[in-house]
Amino acid sequence: MNKRFQDAKRYEKTICAAIAIIVFLCLWQLVVAFTKVGIVMAGPITVLSKFVVSLVKPIGTHTIEVHVLWSLTRVMVGFLLGSLVGIVLGIVMGWYPAMEALFRPLYELVRPIPPIAWIPLSIVWFGLGEPSKYFLIFLAAFSNITMNAYAGVRSVDPTLMGAARMLGANDRQVFSTIVLPSCVPHIFAGLQIAIGSAWATVVAAEMVRSSEGVGWVIIKGQDSNSTVQIMVGIVAVGIVGFTLAVAMRAIEAKLCSWSVRGK
Amino acid sequence: MKQKHSYRWLSIVSILAFIAIWWLCCDVLKMTKSSTLPGPVTIAATFIKKLTSTAPDGATLPQHIFSSLRIAMGGWAMGVLIGTPLGILMAWYKKIDLFVRPVFDLIRPVPGLAWIPLMILLFGIGITSKIVTVFLSAFVPCVLNSYTGVRQTKDVHLWVGQTFGASNWQMLMNIAVPTSLPLVMTGVRVALGASWTCIVAAEMLASTRGLGYMIQQARGIYRPDIIICGMIAIGTIGALFSWLLTLVEKQVVKGVRRG
Repeated sequence: MNKRFQDAKRYEKTICAAIAIIVFLCLWQLVVAFTKVGIVMAGPITVLSKFVVSLVKPIGTHTIEVHVLWSLTRVMVGFLLGSLVGIVLGIVMGWYPAMEALFRPLYELVRPIPPIAWIPLSIVWFGLGEPSKYFLIFLAAFSNITMNAYAGVRSVDPTLMGAARMLGANDRQVFSTIVLPSCVPHIFAGLQIAIGSAWATVVAAEMVRSSEGVGWVIIKGQDSNSTVQIMVGIVAVGIVGFTLAVAMRAIEAKLCSWSVRGK
Repeated sequence: MKQKHSYRWLSIVSILAFIAIWWLCCDVLKMTKSSTLPGPVTIAATFIKKLTSTAPDGATLPQHIFSSLRIAMGGWAMGVLIGTPLGILMAWYKKIDLFVRPVFDLIRPVPGLAWIPLMILLFGIGITSKIVTVFLSAFVPCVLNSYTGVRQTKDVHLWVGQTFGASNWQMLMNIAVPTSLPLVMTGVRVALGASWTCIVAAEMLASTRGLGYMIQQARGIYRPDIIICGMIAIGTIGALFSWLLTLVEKQVVKGVRRG
């Protein structure tokens, strides 16, 4: 490692981070307190105290953690379905050229449409309830994971496959002992992108139509002209988004400790 | 891998079969109500009509597209122009990294579209609030990618620069920035996708024009044919963008081995 890109010492980092964040919060507080922005925008102290209060005092009918749980349930159902279908479809498309020829064009038709653009159609098809949200998150997770699983199968080292074939492995053995393990890191990369995209999609879906969840908290804040409530929602969205990404990376590090990405 | 061309007919059959079944079920046999899933012929007819007709949402399809494009491009350009240099500076100067990074990490995990309602309250329903939201969602991938790109600079290259007496600025401009270009371009592409998604979401929530507004209005009056037309337009433009940027990338980024 070059000296230039050497990371700073830990205490140095912590101190600088603390200073930077405190300066940021102070600036925000000052702008809110002394300029016209304060008329609409709430300061950091108000937001943080409201956030803590809403942990016990409900916004609407639920406390903030119940809203988060609602959103997370939706994400998990859609994400699990999407990753299951995506992994299977991606691997099948990567392994069988005939299947690729059959499904790739249809997949390419759907892929460029962002999941958020499906919101109106999913409401028309599945109604205002939960199924339409599961469908949207399914789409958000599915398209990323399929692409990555497919790329994973396609980027298997041909030398390894050749070596296995030469030693007498049949198609099924090559697939299960070489192709499947070596596409796992790619699949995890896909899952990582998919969880972020699913989280963004659930927020959007709840903002368009729902009666609970973090997206609802944000949009109801807009309806009642309450920036405090919007910011509480945004803080919750940020914390959960961050946690999901970290958790995904931890799972990957645990399961793929043998691969470069996992390190 | 096995030869691919022999399966081309299968791809064509697949698309044709998909459209044929859809057409047969919806346009011919009328198995679904036109208020849930119209057939391809209906959608094509609506698409052509919508090119010139302003009913039922007050603007033609090209007007909606133009309106969305203008905002998405504006926010995206701002995100790229501010985000990329910031990422490069953060990676190159340790002091900037130490102080800017923590604040950036605070904002990063929030998806761009979660900011929409706040921006609407702060800047009103007009164009500013949407450009700011699009900017935020384009900004994050640009910073991240250019940061990682500069960090990939090889020590040896920097040593060569130092040996020949390059100044710090020369090393940044002539060694680190060219090294980071492939990743910078990736960031620019990711940012464009994010901006396009974000503008659709923003228009669904509060707008009087644009593709997102069009499909949201069409949902209210049960016109899935217009929704699907809008989705086709959104998808096509998104795909067109990423194709164009790939072309630009091939021109701009030199010396990278491509698979």
